[in-house]
This record gives sequence, C-alpha cells and structure tokens, in this order.
Amino acid sequence: MKDIARQSMSIKVESMDLLNGQIKMEAHASATYLAMASWCEQNGFFTSAKFFFKQAEEERGHMMKIFNFLVDTGGNPISPEVTGINHDYSSIVDVFESTLEHEVKVTKSIHNIVKKAREIGDFATERFLDWFVMEQVEEENTIRDILDMIEVTGTEGVGLQMIDNKILDWID
Amino acid sequence: MNVIFQSTYYTLYQAANERCFYVDFGQKMVRMSLCQLLALRHKVMSIDIEHHFDSDLNAHGFEVLMLCNKEHLFVLNTLEILDLKKLVHHSFVSLGLSVETAEFSIS
Repeated sequence: MKDIARQSMSIKVESMDLLNGQIKMEAHASATYLAMASWCEQNGFFTSAKFFFKQAEEERGHMMKIFNFLVDTGGNPISPEVTGINHDYSSIVDVFESTLEHEVKVTKSIHNIVKKAREIGDFATERFLDWFVMEQVEEENTIRDILDMIEVTGTEGVGLQMIDNKILDWID
Repeated sequence: MNVIFQSTYYTLYQAANERCFYVDFGQKMVRMSLCQLLALRHKVMSIDIEHHFDSDLNAHGFEVLMLCNKEHLFVLNTLEILDLKKLVHHSFVSLGLSVETAEFSIS
C-alpha cells in the first residue's frame, strides 16, 4: 500500500501542534514588544522604543520561520489569534523585567518542543529548532545585559535618560 | 480503497490511485487531500467537548463543521463529535503521522 500520508508530510502531527503553539507565542511576543514600544514612546524613552520596534520585527521573523517550516514539511500552519496584550507598565525597569520573563517563557517552550521531538524521533523538527535554541541564548543575554546596565546606572536623577541613551548599544 | 480506521459512525479510506483520502460520514462520502484531512483534524481536536455539558457554553449540544473550504457542512451531536475525535486520533496513528497512544487535544 502506498504511504500517501508520509509522502505528503515529513513531520509528526504532535510536532506540528507544538510548532503551531510556538507560532502563537512568537506572535504574542511580537505584539507585546509593540505595546512596550508604544509605552516607551509615550513616556519619553525614544531609544528604548526603537529597540522594542526592532524586537517586535524579530519576533515576527521567528514566527514566519516556523510558519514556513510547517509549509515546507507539508503541515498545516495556523495563523494565530493574538489577544490579551498588556499595555500597562510601572517603569522602564518593569518593561525590561517583563521582557526577560517573556524570553524565559519562550526558551522553555522551545526546549519543550525539542524534548518532545527527540522523544518521538522527529529529527527534522529537532534539527530545525537548533537555531531557535541558540537564538534564545542570545535574546536572554541581551535583556540580562540591559538589566545589569540599568542596575549600574541607577534610576535617580539623569539615570533614566542615560539608560535610554545606552539602549542604542543593543540596537545594531 | 484501503480502510485506514473505522469508528462507530465513520470510516477513513485511502485511495492510493487518486492520492487522496475518503471519509465516509454515513450519509455522505467526502474526498479529502492530506491538507484537508489536517484541517479536519484541527477543527475536530479544537472542539472543547466539555462545552457540550454546559448549557451556557453550548445550549443545544451541537457543532457545525464546515469542511474542504466550505464545500461540505455537517451538524453533529455530542456522540458524533466524540466518535469523530476518535476517528481522527486513531487515523493519524494508523497513517504513521502520530505516535500518541493517549487521547490528544489541541489547546
């Protein structure tokens, strides 16, 4: 008997479901960073706003990378619904702390898919996610460095302005 | 045509010469590509069956399913949905595209 299913699709449906979940998570991250950019613009942190506009683009790029992988493997990528985006932050420190929390959640989710792909012998998905594993190391490191810089600079006096100016180092 | 899986109300067939699948819904036989079968899976597995037991969330206990780009419309009751979930789940295991042994749901 011809294996039409396997000829049409080269990953497991369990991986496809988890990757569709990751598409949603990346879309949510992109929208969250856009909300952060909006908050930064409204509160005078113009360089930080640029940083978050760039982050929002990057997250959308991650989403599209997964979306295209599902297309290439014959899967069924689902365009995500994005709801419940927080627009309220108490300070610029709160914004960056929330960013780190978000990145840690994304990292955990990626690791979970890698673990599951390994368990079910889905080598294509496992290898595809190698790039995301290393990307998350970089993303977390960037935000940790910014939080370290904020701690060293302090938020008193001209500290906030200095923090915003210094964010430029992480935009290029 | 080869039977891939048969549940109480439904049967999935593979038609190798046409490179497609057929789902026998009882009153109607529906031809599907794998992409359409994946779309059916997504729709069926996204149904929260618990809503059928809460009159505020699903007052009548029915689901309206539109398949194959709105070419077919089905109105299914709770038992039929449960059976369709079973068909979809076991069919993908039989097709070798799923390794899950326990019931699987899409969040």
